[in-house]
Amino acid sequence: MPAETVATDRGTPALRTRLLVAVLGPLLAAAILIGVVGATLIADVVRRTNDRVLGGALGAIAETVQVERGEVTLDLPAAAFGMLENTERDNVYYRVAVGNDLLTGYADLPAPDPATLAIDVPRYRFARYRGQKIRIAEVRRSLPRIDKPVIVQIAETLDNRGALTRRLMLALLIGECVLVGAAALLLRPALGWSLRPLARLRGAVEARDERARPDFSPLDTGPLPSELRPLAGAFDRLLAQLDTATVGVRRFTADASHQMRTPLSVLKVQVALARRGSDAERREALDEIADAVVRLERLVTQLLALARAEEAGVSAPLEAVDLREVAAAVITRQINHAIEAGIDLTLEGEGTAGPVVSGHRTLIFEILSNLVDNGIRYNRRGGTVSIMLEATEAATTVTIADDGPGIAPEHREMVFDRFVRLGAPGSPEGSGLGLAIVRSAAARLKANVTLADTDGGTTVVLRFAHRA
Amino acid sequence: MRILVIEDDAALARSIGALLRAGGNAVDHVATGEDALSVVAGEPYALVILDVGLPGIDGFTVLETLRRRGERVPVLMLTARDALDDRVRGLDLGADDYLRKPFEPEELEARVRALGRRRGGDPLPVLSVGTLTINRSTGDADIAGRALDLRRRERAVLEALATRAGRVVPRALLIGEVFGFDEPVGDNAIEVHVTRLRTKLAPDGPGIRTVRGVGYMLDAG
Repeated sequence: MPAETVATDRGTPALRTRLLVAVLGPLLAAAILIGVVGATLIADVVRRTNDRVLGGALGAIAETVQVERGEVTLDLPAAAFGMLENTERDNVYYRVAVGNDLLTGYADLPAPDPATLAIDVPRYRFARYRGQKIRIAEVRRSLPRIDKPVIVQIAETLDNRGALTRRLMLALLIGECVLVGAAALLLRPALGWSLRPLARLRGAVEARDERARPDFSPLDTGPLPSELRPLAGAFDRLLAQLDTATVGVRRFTADASHQMRTPLSVLKVQVALARRGSDAERREALDEIADAVVRLERLVTQLLALARAEEAGVSAPLEAVDLREVAAAVITRQINHAIEAGIDLTLEGEGTAGPVVSGHRTLIFEILSNLVDNGIRYNRRGGTVSIMLEATEAATTVTIADDGPGIAPEHREMVFDRFVRLGAPGSPEGSGLGLAIVRSAAARLKANVTLADTDGGTTVVLRFAHRA
Repeated sequence: MRILVIEDDAALARSIGALLRAGGNAVDHVATGEDALSVVAGEPYALVILDVGLPGIDGFTVLETLRRRGERVPVLMLTARDALDDRVRGLDLGADDYLRKPFEPEELEARVRALGRRRGGDPLPVLSVGTLTINRSTGDADIAGRALDLRRRERAVLEALATRAGRVVPRALLIGEVFGFDEPVGDNAIEVHVTRLRTKLAPDGPGIRTVRGVGYMLDAG
């Protein structure tokens, strides 16, 4: 795993750091808990084990206590003390008493209250003796014909118990340290190993930009772990989207250049003719050149308008747009064109303020402008183009109607595609982009644009549905 | 020679027409594939210039239909598309040449001339009939070094006769090759040009015979 893949981005801890925190934190807490529980258990086990030995010694001594001729006697067994010998050389004390009378042993060993001792049941307790902490095992025996309780006690200092406890605790601590340390050390290679499929994914992505042509087919990653499959899937979907977008752009560029080639051919031929011909022919050629230049100019303008309308995310906020004002502005701009073409251009309805919709004025202007331009362009001298505004409860509509030749019903959907011109012989030169711009801009405005079903002429309806 | 331009863009069609007419050709124009198919059958075109991107029936289909009908007229394809596939497809369908928009006018003219020569079965640019020499690339003609000053139509008639020297060229064929269908052709239109040509060819050039009721023939050698 190359280091840079997990390198820390500013503000975001590296995966390794995250994992260290996420794994080692709880692991340390668990180690402490285990330590505490372990220490308690160790103390308990050490106490029980040593108590059993102490109890054994106690039993051995207590067994020898008997009554001989009315007297309590005992024979201290050496083995009882042998049991208690250990490396720490703990001191061993004992005391056998009948009532308050000492029979043998250390008289000052702390004596129990005989009333609290059950007969023949050894009891263990801690006490202090000669400045040291000791463990005492004691038992009360009841002997025949002896009224007083016989108390047998044996005690040892705690050095051996302490040493044993320390040794066991140390072992526990070392074990825990090894566990936590190993986890910390193994985390890095484990992470690297786990992230290896991610490196493969990266490799598959990087392999892409080394190829000459952009390749948007799904990534070839081989089998991936289940955690990475959604990521690879998301990436493949992104690639597919890019593919669609790129194909769109490529087609648009191809269409646009395709569209420019014809007027450019006209220009080249007419320039050649102008160079060779007579004055009259030259004038004719210049007219053709001027027309071709206008066509190219219009084409470029419309391509730019289309690019603008299609630009993802028009970031400008929605504004209240007065449709009457926009329609009037469009008419003002197109009026000369209309007069030249002998077309009567009108805005229907009274009043100074019209219906207001929420949208972008520029886009609405572009839509109306293109529709009016089409109405004028594909019309006959003496024809009319009218804009009608209508607001109902459900929607606000702008209708642009002309009485030109109209569009055949079977072509009505097709005309919204780019560069589609219904080129009847002798029809005016259009770029085939106008309605594509209209549809694209309308989509931006969430408005609906349709060709109405009419017998004569073309009627386009731009409809802004009111939001409920 | 007589050329048919099949092009939906009116401005480009006008331009190509003007260019080729200036070179002494008769040019007809149709804007759709449908029209093209109905026109080609009836007229003796020496060349068809065919735009691939036609509305309705596209250029490829027009070409395919023509060739299926057995039309052998040379076809020069015009296209705005770059794709190699398109060019290969056009040529495989039976196009004789291929030109991409925007083209150089000189190149179009040269290719038109080359295709025209091949149509006559003689790819040599210089045509010789006895003392008469016609340079089909430049349009210049001379008789034993004496340059002939020919008008556009006269050159067309002379070239049509010279490519078939020694054979009778029917009058109708001559009219078909020299005039476009929207040009007014008077009863004696060809006669006028032939008479002028005879004057210009005399005395040392080949003679033009009138075969009454049939057509004309340029003496070979």
